[in-house]
Amino acid sequence: MKIDKVMDRVTHTVFALFLVVWLSVAGIIVWGTWRFISHYGFLSPILSSRWNPLAGQFGLWPFILGSLTVTVLAVVIAFPGSLALSVLGSRILQGIWRRYFVRLLMVFVSVPSVLYGWWGLIVIVPWVRRLSGTSGYGMLSASVVLGLMILPTFSILSLEAIRQVPESYVEGSVGLGATEDQTLWRIILPAARPRLVQAALIAVARGLGETIAVQMVIGGQIGGPGLLHPAATLTTQLLTDLPFLPPGVPGHDVLDFMAFDLMVLMTIIVWLQMRIGSWRYE
Amino acid sequence: MSKSDLSPKTLKPIAQGRSAHYVMAGIGVAAMLALLSVVLPLAVQGLPRLNMDFLFKPPRELGGGGIGPEILNTLIMVGLSQCISLPLAIIIAIYRVEYDHIRHLARWFDQGLQIVLSLPTMVIGLIVVDVAIVRWHWPISVESGILVLSLINWPFAVFLTVQVLQRIPDEWREASRALGASRWQTITRLILPVAWADIIELTGLTVARLMGETAALIYTAGLNVTSRFAFSAPGETVAVHLWYIRTEGLMPDADQVAAATGLVLLLLVIAVLWVSQKFAEWVKNANL
Amino acid sequence: MTRTSDETTPDIEVHQLSVWYGQTPALRNVNLNISAGQILAIIGPSGCGKSTFLRVLNRMIERFSDVRVEGTVRVGSFNVLDDHVDVTQLRRAVGMVFQHPNPFPMTIFDNVAYGPRIFGMRSSTQLRKTVEDSLKQAALWDEVRGKLRRGAGTLSGGQQQRLCIARALAVNPRVLLLDEPTASLDPVSAAKIEELIVQLKSQYTMVIVTHNLQQAARVSDLVAFFEQGRLIEMGNTQEMFTAPREKRTEEFLTGRFD
Ligand SMILES: Nc1ncnc2c1ncn2[C@@H]1O[C@H](COP(=O)(O)OP(=O)(O)OP(=O)(O)O)[C@@H](O)[C@H]1O
Ligand SMILES: [Mg+2]
Repeated sequence: MKIDKVMDRVTHTVFALFLVVWLSVAGIIVWGTWRFISHYGFLSPILSSRWNPLAGQFGLWPFILGSLTVTVLAVVIAFPGSLALSVLGSRILQGIWRRYFVRLLMVFVSVPSVLYGWWGLIVIVPWVRRLSGTSGYGMLSASVVLGLMILPTFSILSLEAIRQVPESYVEGSVGLGATEDQTLWRIILPAARPRLVQAALIAVARGLGETIAVQMVIGGQIGGPGLLHPAATLTTQLLTDLPFLPPGVPGHDVLDFMAFDLMVLMTIIVWLQMRIGSWRYE
Repeated sequence: MSKSDLSPKTLKPIAQGRSAHYVMAGIGVAAMLALLSVVLPLAVQGLPRLNMDFLFKPPRELGGGGIGPEILNTLIMVGLSQCISLPLAIIIAIYRVEYDHIRHLARWFDQGLQIVLSLPTMVIGLIVVDVAIVRWHWPISVESGILVLSLINWPFAVFLTVQVLQRIPDEWREASRALGASRWQTITRLILPVAWADIIELTGLTVARLMGETAALIYTAGLNVTSRFAFSAPGETVAVHLWYIRTEGLMPDADQVAAATGLVLLLLVIAVLWVSQKFAEWVKNANL
Repeated sequence: MTRTSDETTPDIEVHQLSVWYGQTPALRNVNLNISAGQILAIIGPSGCGKSTFLRVLNRMIERFSDVRVEGTVRVGSFNVLDDHVDVTQLRRAVGMVFQHPNPFPMTIFDNVAYGPRIFGMRSSTQLRKTVEDSLKQAALWDEVRGKLRRGAGTLSGGQQQRLCIARALAVNPRVLLLDEPTASLDPVSAAKIEELIVQLKSQYTMVIVTHNLQQAARVSDLVAFFEQGRLIEMGNTQEMFTAPREKRTEEFLTGRFD
């Protein structure tokens, strides 16, 4: 067929373009990383805490720690709410209520992160300030904002996970005389566990990658230990330092190295997700 | 024997051993309220400011301005980047699902796609600054913004479209091929017509996502607007404007402007989701 | 584990039972009694309400939305349709086996131990004994001994169905409901299940839905023929198959049914 000939060529071209674009993206990051590593080493910048790029000091540890802390805390904060929302949407609400509930959650999934950041600025930061007597900017505020931001995504994915549990398991359990609660704890949630863990991993990936909502409330400097002092994450530091380290400036390569670290973290998460996807009871 | 001869009663599930479900419902409602607490203050604080002037006038650092150019920039940048990335994404998805060329590489492709997809958008912004703005000397402008948004959207749209195509049962393809239809005849006559509704609905999601994108646009599309639209002029979007007012701006009425800007953004997103869903429903029904 | 089967008090008593799904009737004015230890086979064309009837007996029907009922159903001491019946105890007393084997995604041991654990059995020696007894009763023990820690999914379809029967037996039910238990199995596995049902006879009151008329003839004491939600005829198995009273029954049994 003629259309096939033409479209085959189009398809192959577009696919080649896709590969070229994304391999170049990876290539640019890796190339910058390589230049950075060959100057400053690999481990010492990761483990060092001194950050003064204009003076040639590239300690990334506070940012890595910031990224991990904020993300893990956010997932912990979001977990109970997500579980509850997913149970509510999959096992409690019925019919039209369930439909509107899921639709509302989808709207929240799409609410731009800058709005969550705005909410953090006018609600969470003042709260934390009042409760702790500090400026209010810091990892605690960032975790709360991020937790709320990933809550809808986490809930929708968990809801999907629970919905995938075959109704026949539920019937089998209830048919033996188990209550709804027992069935939930002992059958439904364990059966959904691999997918729930996957949902959590996707939430982690979203949290690690989030820039704007976190940047608005985290304070932006390395202010000292603890959750209540201004801090920074890999992504927020990328955002704040890009104007000071334009390409050509000697320190610019550290930005590529930070991007590389993020890429490695994402790769680990994706790999874990795939591993869990093949979990099956033998 | 006692027997109720009343009209048949509805059999209600006996509420036994459900306390955990009640607790879950309670926490769930609380979580929903927390989410609503994000959007409600937005409406309360922003609504008084939401008028024609605000929607069409340019912003003013001294207060009293609007966000007209920002809205225009947002619509144009998101619209054009969708026009670029969506067809490219659909073609890639077709290649992944409908061709068997990369069958043995499918796992690698999927993993790579996942990684690209979860790259922070800030990283993509960084790359575009490195390549387009510094090396190619593109201005900080609408066109650089379109490039960034297209790059962000491309893998995401591929991922969603692949899922739509994979839901179509293989038997249908085989039936079509058995009738003598070629690959692309099958795609254009069978696969795409079936998939359109879902693709449209998911495209609503991707549009909403692009509208909210902020981090990657700050250094590529910029924080300024010009009085007249041009592709090479700075192209601040609504989302970026909100970030700017809240973190760097010095306007006297910043609180109100921020809330109103956020409200506009939220309404845009909801409108997009609503329209895409209605459109998808319409396509679905027209198909039957 | 033998039970005294008291022939005089019916173990299941259904009086003027009608069921609607929304506005659609599924059962209409069904009356029947089953004595303890008997096996009732329910036959009838597809969609005549057989599964509905079965699900009423352990109140699983309440899981569907908008179900309306009329009449009374008594199983042992349970007034099934009463608003205050203890469903967990009812379902403990009335075990159910489904058309498709539905073992839980756990080990074989955990599957069988699920019910006893739900009802508070903690001691591992007791659990082990219960599991062993139940598997023996379900004629599965010899095939799975030493493999109890394997996932239930590794068993064949027929073995899975016997596992489900063992799981139901582990909580000491008085009644077993079987909804087309062999319909999804190969002939050899089906024959094994059938054999098992015959073995369990007299220890349990059983209601079995089947599309296989020979099976009904082989295993049951009583046969009930349903059509469009009505109980057309019920009687002794032998009489039903040799001399049905109703013309519709005869047509169904001889395959001249439309
Ligand atoms: N959950 C439900 N909601 C609404 N209608 C239902 C429901 N379950 C069954 N029905 C309807 O009630 C009638 C009886 O169904 P039932 O499942 O009891 O039939 P059955 O005799 O078991 O059929 P089969 O031999 O196919 O299993 C059918 O017309 C069916 O469509
Ligand atoms: Mg049935």
